[in-house]
Amino acid sequence: MATAGKVIKCKAAVAWEPNKPLVIEDIEVAPPQANEVRIKIVATGVCHTDLYHLFEGMHKDGFPAVLGHEGAGIVESVGPGVSEFQPGDRVIPLFISQCRECRFCKSPKTNQCEKGWAADHYDVMALADSRFTCKGKKVLQFMGASTFSEYTVMNQIAVAKIDPAAPLDKVCLLGCGVCTGFGAAVNTAKVEPGSTCAVFGLGAVGLAAVMGCKFAGAKRIFAVDTNPEKAEKARVFGATDFVNPKDYNKPISKVLAEMTNGGVDYSLECVGNVDVMRSALESCMKGWGVSVVVGWTDKHDFSARPIQLIAGRTWKGTLFGGFKSKDGVPQMVKAYMERKVKLDEFITHNMTLTQVNEAIELMKRGGCIRTVLSVSRQ
Amino acid sequence: MFLEQIVATSVCHSDLYHLFEYMHPEGFPTVLGHEAAGTVESVGPGVTEFQPGDKVIPIFLCQCRECRFCKSPKTNQCELAWTRVCQKIMASVESRFTCRGKRVLQFMGTSTFSEYTVVHQSAVAKIDPAAPLDKVCLLGCGICTGYGAAVNTAKVEPGSTCAVFGLGAVGLAAVMGCKDAGAKRVIAVDINSEKAEKAKAFGATDFVNPKDHNIPINQVLAEMTNGGVDYSLECVGKVEVMRTALESCMEAWGVSVIVGWTDMYDIAIRPSHLICGRTWKGSMFGGFKSKDGVAQMVKAYMDKKLMVDEFITHNMTLDQINNAIDLMKDCKCIRTVMSVSPQ
Repeated sequence: MATAGKVIKCKAAVAWEPNKPLVIEDIEVAPPQANEVRIKIVATGVCHTDLYHLFEGMHKDGFPAVLGHEGAGIVESVGPGVSEFQPGDRVIPLFISQCRECRFCKSPKTNQCEKGWAADHYDVMALADSRFTCKGKKVLQFMGASTFSEYTVMNQIAVAKIDPAAPLDKVCLLGCGVCTGFGAAVNTAKVEPGSTCAVFGLGAVGLAAVMGCKFAGAKRIFAVDTNPEKAEKARVFGATDFVNPKDYNKPISKVLAEMTNGGVDYSLECVGNVDVMRSALESCMKGWGVSVVVGWTDKHDFSARPIQLIAGRTWKGTLFGGFKSKDGVPQMVKAYMERKVKLDEFITHNMTLTQVNEAIELMKRGGCIRTVLSVSRQ
Repeated sequence: MFLEQIVATSVCHSDLYHLFEYMHPEGFPTVLGHEAAGTVESVGPGVTEFQPGDKVIPIFLCQCRECRFCKSPKTNQCELAWTRVCQKIMASVESRFTCRGKRVLQFMGTSTFSEYTVVHQSAVAKIDPAAPLDKVCLLGCGICTGYGAAVNTAKVEPGSTCAVFGLGAVGLAAVMGCKDAGAKRVIAVDINSEKAEKAKAFGATDFVNPKDHNIPINQVLAEMTNGGVDYSLECVGKVEVMRTALESCMEAWGVSVIVGWTDMYDIAIRPSHLICGRTWKGSMFGGFKSKDGVAQMVKAYMDKKLMVDEFITHNMTLDQINNAIDLMKDCKCIRTVMSVSPQ
């Protein structure tokens, strides 16, 4: 491509400081260095973790940054030593890498990777090094990805090559939310056929968890949310029951225990609230219940009585649905192309990158499931 | 139900927990003790599994074999236990004991600080008649609890690295379990350095005293193990140690098991510890289905595949019970076995 080897000037939504709207700026994107790939981002979703960094985490060393980590695009150029990708490849950036060499990548028990940004920088949510500058300043690449930008540069261990026929404005959602929820049910909880599940929180991650429970053969899936408008969408994804905790004057764990003769087999917390995490644990059956924390927060402790675990419940958590990223994302794209996994049904709004602040406000109000932003033309 | 003559019993920390920490007012008067062995004296109507003279170990956890929990391989809970034993008062709902005209509770449905007790047949294991009752009594709680936590609940894998927090009988049994499961490294952790020698006798490869370091113990362990242990077991019963034990295990795949008992405080942790891949579990009676497990463990002892004698540091008689309790309070014993009745 004509731009190969050169700095690209392009549009990006920059978060200059915490708790402020993003600003559409012209940024400079340096060419890829060794083992790196420069990607033209075609479409991106807005995920709650982007908002977490901007409005809740707000780590002072995490700004300025270009947010966004749920995107899809096309390879523009590759750096020295890259043989796996070439210009024109359709790809999805990955916020968890898969180097295939470290002890985590070699273990079947985990999808972590020692080489990614999270190894040392998970509170700042970016690597120290960046390929972005704006107005003479270094701008961080959020979660190593930065999909609120027309171009980004990533290490090839954090990029998945996908089916060239896949529609990028749909499969971008597999960069985070859908894999996170679906995988939490299938890979982490390991939901078994005939079981009973409860999913707390019906944003995109929760709906994907509902979809995962159904895919795994659960007989009964309770969708739990304080917003009754979520019920209909939950049923589209496979929920058999909807429960609104506000409709009861006793704890939700007791409500679910009564409805299931003791508790659910699997519960998944997809909100990111420590009180809900406790309720989700207490909602599962003693003896064999498994509760998975999917929603992210690192600002407060969660707590429970030790007897909850001593009596046989298991408490787990998951990042990116337990999928080894480079392997898992193409599998999920394939599953979508074969109609085994839904994606289109998550998309409630379509906007452009310049409308990113509107999309963020919509998410803050709980007024959307997923807004897909068109970033560049294909 | 049947009447059992207790031959030997030991003091377990859960007896002290009820007496000195939890102290629920409705949990008294009671006869404590839940770790014992004896012989069947007589049986009630409908009991065919046992007859007078059988050697048995009473267990605080039932195994009715009929409920959905007994039928599931995933758990050792039993629904009969929840109807028979009231957790709040740590005693069975019914009692066969009176004293001076008053009803006296049967602690955990067992009450082994008594020459005779009455137990439900689903809460008793028949054992090899050749087994020495003054040794295998320890299999009624502590050893199975610790050993099973490692082997059944944590499911320690060969070649792995483990940390055991707290080196009382349960912790030492957990060390033994980690070793038998093939762990390459078993790090014993205790604030009392005198425990180190016994821990090594049970298979510990390292001993760490948190008081010897001025950084948190989970950081010490992380440095010793390139990130954290594969399995950690909390055998103290303190919520702060439960937290530390979880933080000591490797993110990505670490498993931490709560073995020590407390119901007075919450455990707490940052969610990121679980989200980044650790698993938090707990265990009662080492995950053994009680009647089956105890019989297996007695056999393992008789086949010399399991250490039991090495836990016994003191021998007394039932009338010295308060001395035995003081020894445990002062951490000056591992297990005191009390002779209750002659065989």
